[in-house]
Amino acid sequence: MLNNVDSYLLIIEKIIGVMAAVVYSFFALIVVKQVQTMSKNVKDIFNPLLIVFAYAHLMAALALIFLVLAVL
Amino acid sequence: MTTRENDLDVVAPDEVGTEEQIPQKVYDITGHTKHPLSSLLINPNVFTFEEKAQQEKVLVVARSHWFTNVGWMLTAGLMFLAPNFLRLIPFSSDISIRYKILGGLLWFLVTFAFIFEKFLSWYFDVIVITDKRVIDIDFDNLLSKKFAQADILMIQDLTFKVTGFAQTMFNFGDVFVQTAAEVPQLTLERVPQPQKIIRVLQMLKEELGGKNAK
Repeated sequence: MLNNVDSYLLIIEKIIGVMAAVVYSFFALIVVKQVQTMSKNVKDIFNPLLIVFAYAHLMAALALIFLVLAVL
Repeated sequence: MTTRENDLDVVAPDEVGTEEQIPQKVYDITGHTKHPLSSLLINPNVFTFEEKAQQEKVLVVARSHWFTNVGWMLTAGLMFLAPNFLRLIPFSSDISIRYKILGGLLWFLVTFAFIFEKFLSWYFDVIVITDKRVIDIDFDNLLSKKFAQADILMIQDLTFKVTGFAQTMFNFGDVFVQTAAEVPQLTLERVPQPQKIIRVLQMLKEELGGKNAK
């Protein structure tokens, strides 16, 4: 009985973790989109670097989903 | 040209500058500041914006003064250091290592996102002065853009406000541009050297007004 409760808690924990990582990834995607829009509106020397940062942030957010799946 | 007009040109030569002289006159007022991360870019080579007309020349780009970034930089520093204080929390040693790794990674991602957002907000919120108009481009948050402009010739009144210790110490403040255009007032917030911004706008108004009157 106790083992069942434990396994249910682990599943719930995993679902919550994955959902949080997915929501964060959506946020990272919005950041990428917005940096692209801003860069189109205002063009300056650092824009390409900022786009690279935004994509790196998105990649890290996506990696977090897999990490949650693997670790939890 | 009549003899009288020739005589007048000799006695009182036309003081209105040509378009090529305007960037030099801006330099004369503001000095040279061309670093891409400067709060005040004068005659920038690379900078441009979507609504720029083909013949339009960007003379000044102003961002909020660097001092306005100090608050979020300190917060970001504290956020970076925060995980070190985890051990001060009772029972923190009982937390499993996998939760610590995941929590740490998420925390640093959130910290990075916070810094990135603040930097983007500073970097892309710009005041642009061209040889035709003054423009305020604002990205209030990630999902909203505000664009306001006023023709230089429509400017009626220019005032500025420097208030508080930080603004007085570091010489930045708000410039208020009253116009006869559809947008009655443009507020250029927390710009560095507001006196010089006003002098540049006055000079441009005189130059362009004189050119149109010719």
